[in-house]
Amino acid sequence: MALIPPIGVNPAVARPIAPSTTTATDPTAATRGNSFGDSVTKALDDLQASQSKADSLARDAATGRLQNIEEYLIAASDAQLSTQLTVAVRNKAVESFNEIMRMQI
Amino acid sequence: MPTPFSSLAVAGSGMSTMKTWIDTISDNVANANTVKRTSETAFQARQVFAESVSGGTAIGGGETGGGVRVSRLTTASGDGTLTFDPNNSLADANGMVRRPNVDLVEQMTSLIVAQRAYSANVTVFERARDSYLRALEIGRG
Repeated sequence: MALIPPIGVNPAVARPIAPSTTTATDPTAATRGNSFGDSVTKALDDLQASQSKADSLARDAATGRLQNIEEYLIAASDAQLSTQLTVAVRNKAVESFNEIMRMQI
Repeated sequence: MPTPFSSLAVAGSGMSTMKTWIDTISDNVANANTVKRTSETAFQARQVFAESVSGGTAIGGGETGGGVRVSRLTTASGDGTLTFDPNNSLADANGMVRRPNVDLVEQMTSLIVAQRAYSANVTVFERARDSYLRALEIGRG
């Protein structure tokens, strides 16, 4: 039962990030260069890597090939925290973007 | 791969090392009564050697450490103890067999240490995860 949440959570949470960050990076990229966009892209790559690691370990656990149980639990926790961090960064970026769009000209 | 949640991996390395230790102890205890012929070498107890891993960069510079790993797995040396057991089918002409000199008391003590160390690493892991989750609540809402 413990195996289900990370598998189920990852694609659902990962999906809204990708389109949103592209809209969020565009305005900031124009003003600050590519640094923010690059950071977000790198963070998403890292997130993808940690989630696929957790997923493959979950598959190992389900098929009985997992040697160390703590290895999976650590990968799952890491993927969960990375996802939450990325979502937090994305929310803040969208918030700033909305704030700028609301500015009176 | 550098990750912002490095404490999790460090605590995990401690758990893996302690698991290896518990694995060797269970093998040693399982073989505590493995009798051999006097012409053979006795069962040798396995030993785990741990070493620290460098890594982890602190914010102000310097190193926080990268955890622990098993540096080598060796077997103890020793001829075992020759015991008089003429009814054993492995006994030689003089009725002697070779028993391993696995010290059960030492193994059980090590087992308690290893189990407590594993639990300590799990506690560190939980505390670190709680701290990270708490940090993610900054500025929420």
